[in-house]
Formats: sequence, C-alpha cells, structure tokens
Amino acid sequence: MIYNITHRTLYQYSSGVALCHNEARLLPKETAWQLCRPSQIRIRPRPALSAERLDFFGNRVLYFAIQDVHHRLEVTVVTEVRVLDERPFHESSPSPSWEQVRRMLWEDLDPEIIEARLFALDSPFVAAGPQFRAYAEPSFPPDRPLLEAVADLNQRIYQDFKYDPHFTTVATPLDEVLRERRGVCQDFAHLAMACLRTLGLAVRYVSGYLETLPPPGQPRLIGADASHAWLAVYVPGVGWAEFDPTNDCMPKTQHVTLAWGRDYGDVAPLTGVMTGGGSHSLKVSVDVAPQVEAAIKKAKAAANEAHIAPEP
Amino acid sequence: MSEAAVAFSDPPQLPGDRLFSDYPVAATGYDEMYSAPGILRPHWQDMARFLEGVGGVELERRYREIQRLLQADGVTYNTYDDPHGSQRHWLLDPVPLLMTGEEWTGLAAGLEQRSRLLNALLADLYGPRLAIRHGWLPPELVYAHPGFLPACHQALPSNGRWLIFHGVDLARGPDGVFRAYGDRVQSPSGAGYTLENRIILARALPMLYRDAPLRRLASFLETERATLTRLARHRSENPHVVLLTPGPSSPVYFEHAYLANYLSLSLVEGEDLVVRDGRVWLKTLGGLRPVDVILRRVLDTFCDPLELRGDSLFGVPGLLQAVRNGHVALANALGSSLVENPGLAVFLPLLCRQLLGEDLQLPSLPTWWCGHRADCDYVLTHLDSLVVRSILPASPYWEGGQLDAAARGQLRDRIQAAPHLFVAQAPALLSTAPVLEDGRLTPRPVMLRGFVVAEDQGYRVMPGGLARVSSGLDTLQAALQKGGISKDWWVLAPTPQRHVSLLRQAYGPIVVTRDGSDLPSRVADDLFWLGRYVERLDGTSRLLREALGRLLEWEQDNTDERCLDDLFEALDILVPPVAESPRARFFALRQALLELIISAEPVGSVQTIVSGLLRTGRAVRNHLGDDIWRLLNRLQQQLQELPSDLGARQARELLEEELMLVAAFSGLNNETMPHHQGWLFFDIGRYLERVLRTLDLFKLAFITARNPGLPLWEVVLTITDNLTAYRRRYRSALHPTAIIDLLLFDEGNPRAVGYQLRRLHRHIGRLQPPSGSPYRSAEERLILEAITTLQLADIPALATLSHDSARSSAELTRLLDAVRAPLLGLSDALTHSHFSHAEVPQQLITMRP
Repeated sequence: MIYNITHRTLYQYSSGVALCHNEARLLPKETAWQLCRPSQIRIRPRPALSAERLDFFGNRVLYFAIQDVHHRLEVTVVTEVRVLDERPFHESSPSPSWEQVRRMLWEDLDPEIIEARLFALDSPFVAAGPQFRAYAEPSFPPDRPLLEAVADLNQRIYQDFKYDPHFTTVATPLDEVLRERRGVCQDFAHLAMACLRTLGLAVRYVSGYLETLPPPGQPRLIGADASHAWLAVYVPGVGWAEFDPTNDCMPKTQHVTLAWGRDYGDVAPLTGVMTGGGSHSLKVSVDVAPQVEAAIKKAKAAANEAHIAPEP
Repeated sequence: MSEAAVAFSDPPQLPGDRLFSDYPVAATGYDEMYSAPGILRPHWQDMARFLEGVGGVELERRYREIQRLLQADGVTYNTYDDPHGSQRHWLLDPVPLLMTGEEWTGLAAGLEQRSRLLNALLADLYGPRLAIRHGWLPPELVYAHPGFLPACHQALPSNGRWLIFHGVDLARGPDGVFRAYGDRVQSPSGAGYTLENRIILARALPMLYRDAPLRRLASFLETERATLTRLARHRSENPHVVLLTPGPSSPVYFEHAYLANYLSLSLVEGEDLVVRDGRVWLKTLGGLRPVDVILRRVLDTFCDPLELRGDSLFGVPGLLQAVRNGHVALANALGSSLVENPGLAVFLPLLCRQLLGEDLQLPSLPTWWCGHRADCDYVLTHLDSLVVRSILPASPYWEGGQLDAAARGQLRDRIQAAPHLFVAQAPALLSTAPVLEDGRLTPRPVMLRGFVVAEDQGYRVMPGGLARVSSGLDTLQAALQKGGISKDWWVLAPTPQRHVSLLRQAYGPIVVTRDGSDLPSRVADDLFWLGRYVERLDGTSRLLREALGRLLEWEQDNTDERCLDDLFEALDILVPPVAESPRARFFALRQALLELIISAEPVGSVQTIVSGLLRTGRAVRNHLGDDIWRLLNRLQQQLQELPSDLGARQARELLEEELMLVAAFSGLNNETMPHHQGWLFFDIGRYLERVLRTLDLFKLAFITARNPGLPLWEVVLTITDNLTAYRRRYRSALHPTAIIDLLLFDEGNPRAVGYQLRRLHRHIGRLQPPSGSPYRSAEERLILEAITTLQLADIPALATLSHDSARSSAELTRLLDAVRAPLLGLSDALTHSHFSHAEVPQQLITMRP
C-alpha cells in the first residue's frame, strides 16, 4: 500500500513566544517493510535553525528553533510511504514457548539479543508490577507459544477495556487505566507492555498511523484520524512481532510506522520548550490517504487549477 | 587579621608532652603515622618533631585559629537559607596527612588509568556499545541506571573527551593498599575545599608550610584552567569559560564561587544562559555574550529541559543541540554520570583489558553485583558482613550487620524484586591517621578523595587531595552533615617547593575590559536587591534601636513615651492593646519589639531582612570583596547566636553592633567594588530604598502622627543620624521648617531626599541603555519626574508648618506623594529594562510518568 500522510500540528498561544526549541519525531522511519519518499516539512514561522539526526533508537528527529516572537506555531509534514506486507510475523507464525523466549533473551550471547534486553527493563512510563502479572497470567499458561499468548492478551485488552478519549491524558498512571478499564491506544499499548515486561519479555512502543477503514458506502473521514500507537514483542533470533490491542490485530499494511522506543516518552511527536506563550491551545490533524484516492485528488486539483488558470 | 587582634580564652592546662602519649596503634589496622607501637614511619619523623616542638597546648590554640579563619572566609558546606539552620562550618584538623612521593606515584598512576578507562567506557557506551554487545558489561547495569541518557548518544564528536574532571573516593586497607570505592563525575566537589584547606593551614602554621618539602597544588589548578581553555576548539583566543552552578542553594556553593574566582570564570546559573543560533550565550547588561566552555556543576538531567528531563524546567533549553553542533563544550560531558554507578566496579578489570589493553592498577573494594545469580546468592547469604547499595544515584545504603532480622528480610525482598539494581561491597577497613583531640593526637579512620583532570594527552592527578576523618563509608555529603573533619593531604617532595599562586599567572593575551557591561543581568538584579536589603536593615535597625531606647527611658525615668505609638507605626507593627498597668504595657511593647528582631515571621523583621541580604549576597559572592564577605558572615553569626532570653538592653546593644556592620558593609563596598555597572545597581538599590523610607518617615512625623510635636521630630533627626548636624547648624530648638530643609531639600546631605534623588538621577543616567535607544528610558523619566517635583516645590507654602497650618500640611502631603509616586514605579522600570531575564520557559507538552 502507498499512503500520502499529512500530519498537521497547530499551537496557538495567548501571549507571544519569544524563543522556542523543539524536537519533532514526525518523519517516518525506514524499515524492511516500509519505504519512505523524502518528506515535505513546512514550519511556520520559519525556524532560524533546524537539523535532522537519528536518535538512539534509530528514529528520525528534527530539531528546530524559532527565535522571533510568534503567537502560533504550525508544523505540517507530508510523506509518501509504501508499506509492504513483509513484517516478520503474522497471525499464524509459529513461535517458541514464552518461557523459552524469555530464557533465550536472558541467556543468549548474541549481540542483537543482548541489546534487546534494554526493552525488557522498566522505563519511565512502563514499569513491571504484580498487578500486571495478575492481569497477564490467564493468557500465559506454561509452554504456550509466545505469539499465541500475546495475541490472547491483546484480545483480552481489546475486550475488557473501553476506548475513551476523554478519560486519559499523557500523565494518567497505568494503575488507573487498569482499575478503570478504559483509555486510548497509548494506554492499551503501555498496559500490554507492562504485562509483558513483568513476565521478563522485551517489548517496545511503536508510534505511527492507521488507515481507518470507512464503514461500507461512506467516504473516509479526512482529518479524523490521529496518531496511533501499538507495541512489538521481541522473538530472539527472528525479530519483533507487532500487536495492536486497540484493534485486536497484528499490523500488516494498514499500520504506518513513525518511530519506536521504550515507551511514549521516547517518541512524542512534537516536544518543545518555549519562553513566554502564556496558555496555549493545540490542534492536531492526521490524514492517511491511500495513493489511489490521493491520485484522484491530485488530478481533481490539477483540473481545477487548469480551469481557473487564465488563458495564455 | 593579625593574631594580636584575636583574643583567645585560656586553653585548658595540658602538659605539652602529652601530644604523642597514649596514641593507641591497633594491632590489625594500618596507621598512617606509626608502623608499630612506638615506631614512627620514616616520612613522619620531621613532622612529629615539629609538632612536638609546638606542643599540644599551642596546637589546640592553632586549631581554634584555623576554625576562626575558615569561618571568617565563609567556608561552609550546607546552605545559608535558614539563618537558624544547620549550616555547618568546614572543620579542619591542624595535622596534615603525609604520603611519600613514591607511594603517591603508584596511586597517581592508578587514578590516571581509571580516568582514561572511564572516559573510554563513556565513549563506547554513547557510541558503538561494544562493551554491551560483546558481553563485557551487562546491559541491565547500564540501561537501568538513570545516568544513561539516550539523548546523549553520539552527542560528542568521535575524538571528543567525555571525562574532564574526576573525583575518586579512596580507602586504604589494613594491607596498606589503596582501593577505590566511588567515582564522582557530576560535580566532583572537593578540589576547592582542598585548596582552601591548604591556604588556611599555611596561614595558621606558617613556619610549617613556608619551606615544607611538599608538592604544591597550584600547578594542578593551572592545568584545570588550561584544559578548560583548550576545550574551546573553535575559538583559541580568549574563550569564554563559565562555571554553571545550581546557585546558592547548593550545599557546595562555596566551592563553586571559590573556584570561579580562582580560575577566573564567570559564575552563572541556568537562567543566565540562553541558546540562540545553535550556540550558548550569557545574558549580560550589554547584551548576549557567547559562551564557549561550561564547567558544569549541575546534574546532567537538569541541564536541558528539551531533551534530558521533560518534567523539569531547570537548565538551558537547546543546550544538548548546541553541544552536538560543536559550538560549546561541557566539562564533564552530558551523560557522564553513568560511570558513578557502583556496580561498574565488578567489571572494571575486564573492561580495562578490553578497552585499554592494560591491567587495572587501582583495585576497587570487593564488590558483588546482584544481577549475576551467583553473586546475588552470595550476597543474600552473607548479608550480615556486607554493605548493600542501590546502583541508583543518591540512594541509601544498608550495613547488613546493623540490621535486625525483620529489616534484613525486607532488604532481601527488595534485592530479589530487582536484583540488577543492587550491589554489595565488603566494608572498608580504613587506615587511621592522627587527629588532634583535647590536646593530644588520636588515631581516627580517614578516607581520601583524589582529583584528576584531563590534560592534552591523558590525565593529570592532583598531588594531594581531600582527606576526611570518618566513621564509616559515608558519602562526602553524609560525612559532613554528621560533622566530619577534613585534613590537608600532603604529598612529600624531595626538596622544598616554591609556593605559586594562580592569581599571578596570565593566560595568553587578555582583553582589557572596564565598563562591566558583561555583567550577567541576574547579577545586576541581585546587586540591586542587595543594596535594598542593606538599606532596609539599616533603616529598620535604627527605628528599632530608637524605639527600644525610648522604652527603656520611660521605664527608668518615666519620660514621655507617647511617641512610641508612632514608632510602632513606622515599623509597621501593631501597638499592643492598652494594658491595665504601665508594667504590663512595658512588657507588651518590649515583646512586640523583640519579636521584630528575632522572629522569622513578619516580613519586615530583622531576621527576614538578613536572610534576604545573605541570599542575594551569596548569589553575587564573586562580586564582593573578601572583607565584605567576612562582614556578612559576622552578621549572620551574630543573629545565630542570639540568646533565647534576649532583653531590651541587650537587644539595643545588638542593634548598635549590627548598625556598625551595616555601615562597614556599605562603606567597604563603596571603597572596594569598582564603580561600574554592578556597583551602580547596588547603589541605586540602596538609595531607592533610603529615599522611600525617608519619605515615609517624613509623612509620619509631619502629617499622620498620632502624637506630633517635638519628641517625634527629635526621633526623626536621631533616626536619620542628623541631630548633631541640626544642632550645629541652628543651635536652637527644633523647628519644622529647618528640619524640612535639612532632610528634604538639602542636596548635600546624604540623609536628605534632595541628595538621594540627585544621586539616583546621576547613577540611572550612567546605566548602559540595553536597547541602544537615543530616548530617555522609563527609569530616567521617572527619576526626572521625582527630582523636578521636589525642585519645583513651593517652599514658602511650607513655612507655616509649625503653626499647624492646614494649608502647609496639605502642601507637604501633596509634595511627598508627588515625589513618591514615580519612585514606586522605578523598581519595575529597572526590572523591565535591565533584568528582563525573569521570564520562565515552559514545556509545550508535559510528560510526567
């Protein structure tokens, strides 16, 4: 699948911002199953300075600074991404038992496996705890193949929890999510990760986009989509198996990967520190348009332009 | 100060020859001075002879002299914030700790190697991570330590140096071998204290130090300075090096100020710096000034709120990006606190072979990391003979042997829940060294901190360091909070070495500067408030002294005490309700006045003013002369030592003394601080405060007084210290018109409003306009308005004031209010034009896990 992704962020401030430094993780990363054309980046007002680098996790980070007084900040990133159906795992992939996976993770001396242990440790947003073990246990009977067990946990979270965008914020503790049985994609990913880390497995947080399937007969709602989040569990020697607890599925071609890390804190799409600004409001819109539709739109736009263009 | 000026109380009578008697040398331990009972180590013989010559009585005297010198220099460890608080003075034993040159050479080689090793480890862990990928170092030990900052990954150029300053805590075991038990890289404090120890001891025992065959410290500090300069790779001439401190609230702020002075660096706080155009700038009165090198004494997580800690606003947003751009160098590099992890000790021998191809020279205390199953089992079964530590920074430690069964069980559970977060060390058996106690030398356990600094190639070790007397394996902080004593650590040289002071050295070409426009805006702000506090203390103390005097006169001679009501008004405290008897009234009034001296409650109390004075004083420590600093210390000491049953008479004496100190402070500052931008702000603060107080006093005395008339006028003249001037000028009874001329219009009398306004006007005119605008600034317009109002006053209309003329009263009220109004806006105008760094940054999104 080829998508045209448009991610637009708009901050409006009650008083002028004299100086701001920002980091954007809005440029999708290249993976074995995902190819990206160069992104178009539009930042208004224009930054005095910007620089792109790869971070510790291999994500693309765009640093920029705006040094003139401004009352709004608009960041728009447009990227064409091709997602191949070549992720290393799918629903029916075989896998060793979860205990065996854990043993390999902690005992194997392969450099890649050693490095993956970073993702088995507690991180600021996702720390192991007995409550998570209790929740995970029914999905993890002895000797169950890892992927089957995680898929079961994934499904249980999907069934037990209510998707409620009004309930949580970035700062809602995981305990509260577990107690209240509600949250958003980020909370569900964090919860599943906490369960798996408590069992001694390596998991990472994946941020990205999702093509929302329209109900039959209705056009897809443009701009209604938001950034999405899911998780991946490490299978030593093979790779990372992705699970999306918000949709009870394993990502295939409808999930576009933006960045990954130990938890949300490593991949927040836009962070910044500013001087001034007073209070602020935020608007985010994401559009994930399949290429076919995009092509039509482009053609229409071209036609319009041709129509209104003055005769030579 | 000369010794003659110091009055010592008689020391207890001790026979001088007891100094070395009863020095118990433990059979099993290692004593630094004696190799066996009665047998001095050879390198101690000269020292022992010298000490014997001095004798225990004299040595005790010198010890007290040392403490007095340290106190006068303001050498402290804790914070100043609480004037009653637990601030500890630095204690220094008069007997140095001696080490032979050969012994030190071996130790220094081990320290040098350790610094190289940790630097190589940092370069690896923030780069290719071979140590982890090859299994030389378990990933849990690195990644679970909060000092590992993913944002610092590849932040330095490949040949960049991560470790510049390094402090190593050392213990010498019974076998005479030194072992490291901790590394300090975030804020390796102690080098400044070490230097101060040396200087103070040399002052107190000059005959010992003048020709002593010991290695001097100055060249080490010279290397520090040279290394910092060299870090500015893109600017070889006159790079701007700053010392970044958390500020006066830091327990080791003394050292920050001290080192900044000694190495001639700008002492700055995070809010003084800003990142623009990808590089770091210091906000000064003259605009932004580029910063090339930062000597960092701030925890790395508090250095950049953009990348290092999303829930904090401390630090300089964008700093890490400026580092990546190569426009600024930090010492130590951000992310280096990783190597403070005590669990690394287990892996250093292997890492040393792998990363340096050398065998580790300086051993660590035997250490077990619980992340290894076998080590963990050993630790759990030997808890009672081990010291358990968490690898996390600033964590407590547990001495297994000291715990009861329940506590040991809890500790076992904690370890088992997250074994990779715990290490255990064998308890350090410390060597003992002679410490002076009650006129005789007593063996006490000592621990050492060695210091290492990077130089062009490799590292250089300080010949000496900080020795401290301790009871266990405390951190420096813990040892000092329990009241530790430090010692000067000597490394002996074959021949006497000349004393070299860094202050006489020049480093390359120098840009002569004079106008002070490079003064950080925050410092200007603090100097302004320092001036205001000084004057506020003066004014309040004068009022209090007068009130207490009137109160005592009334008690003794039954004089007219009604003007006390108005003095209470001037002091802004309530007059206690009328009591049944004069006696009861006396006590009530006295109580209210004493409260205003000792209580920390009311905003205008002497205590709170002094706190403000000390706080701002400490924040500009580097801009005050040493003698001024001693005055501030005396002021604080005086208030700390207040008796709990303070009487009125005693209080008045206290205020007398305090007024002397304040006068000395102002006078000295006028005499010593160059009269440039910084001083202007100090002086503007002082005179703004004074003129506002004078105007208030005037209005009270002539307009709003409950009991107007002669007694009150006299009080006004006394408070402004002008009674003599008045008598000399008029030789007659008090007349309001004359008083008004003397205290309101006289432009030659420093206590008069006229003089004060002229001085403010002149000094505000000399301030550098930050905007470079040709027009008058807001503060200039305000002072002009005040001064013109006064000069245009209708003086004849005031002439009938003594006849209770309503017209005169109204005219005076109008005049006082019209002069006062623009002055009230002056403080804000100055803040806006010169100190406008005040705006605090905020996060775009708040992430608090």
